[in-house]
Amino acid sequence: MQLEFKKVYPVFSWSWDIPGDDDADREIGDEDLCGICRVSYNGTCPGCKYPGDNCPLVIGECNHNFHVHCIQQWLATPTAKGLCPMCRQQFSLKRGVAINEGQVEKLANLLLQPRPAALAADDQDMMMDQEFAVR
Amino acid sequence: MASLPKRIIKETERLVSDPVPGITAQPHEDNLRYFQVTIEGPQQSPYESGVFQLELFLPDDYPMEAPKVRFLTKIYHPNIDRLGRICLDVLKTNWSPALQIRTVLLSVQALLASPNPNDPLANDVAEDWIRNEDAAIAKAREWTQLYAK
Ligand SMILES: [Zn+2]
Ligand SMILES: [Zn+2]
Ligand SMILES: [Zn+2]
Repeated sequence: MQLEFKKVYPVFSWSWDIPGDDDADREIGDEDLCGICRVSYNGTCPGCKYPGDNCPLVIGECNHNFHVHCIQQWLATPTAKGLCPMCRQQFSLKRGVAINEGQVEKLANLLLQPRPAALAADDQDMMMDQEFAVR
Repeated sequence: MASLPKRIIKETERLVSDPVPGITAQPHEDNLRYFQVTIEGPQQSPYESGVFQLELFLPDDYPMEAPKVRFLTKIYHPNIDRLGRICLDVLKTNWSPALQIRTVLLSVQALLASPNPNDPLANDVAEDWIRNEDAAIAKAREWTQLYAK
């Protein structure tokens, strides 16, 4: 019998190279999901169409990973106070990790931006904001 | 209306498929960001045997911004005011996108189990609570019977 290949469709698969990703004791079910948008690290944040270099992943010093767009958006809010959403430690990028390179500057700029003063003083005003937009 | 983010779809599915005991949350047909919520009063609290209606709304910036939650049922509680607004840190300054609708509603349920008159929203209720706790608890029980059936 002779086989003849008429067409070949190459398929590639990829995933981010996350240090420590093969830890056996990770919680099943929650693994590989961005803690902010809950989409896989290898997928995109809600604002992006194409995964990969256009919507990169970053790793925190605290070992929590996020789409860079997700963590940027969070850190830009006054509520964030610069903290990691998962462990509430000051968020900074882990050093010496390949996938963080190129993001360091972007995030550093954001962290250096002056943040609005603490909100604790105007609790009452915040409560007023709890009014509903729709009824 | 913009399409619903995946995260909200997932959270809604899980609220329905794996509900929290004592809590229900139903998205509104016309607005999937708006939920009708019920919370059962925790046992051994003045709200025991009551079922409280709440509304929960996910703002456009959710999960960067906390859900907005409000009691619709009248309730006598030092941290819930006349308009049903709730004084709860995770709804304001301690919000984090790691929290979810589910965890927020659990926190509200926990607030019913342990009223905190030292961090009040409903100031007059908190004052009553501090001045005469037994009487305040009796009143909370009475309101539960009257309004949360
Ligand atoms: Zn994300
Ligand atoms: Zn993105
Ligand atoms: Zn962290």
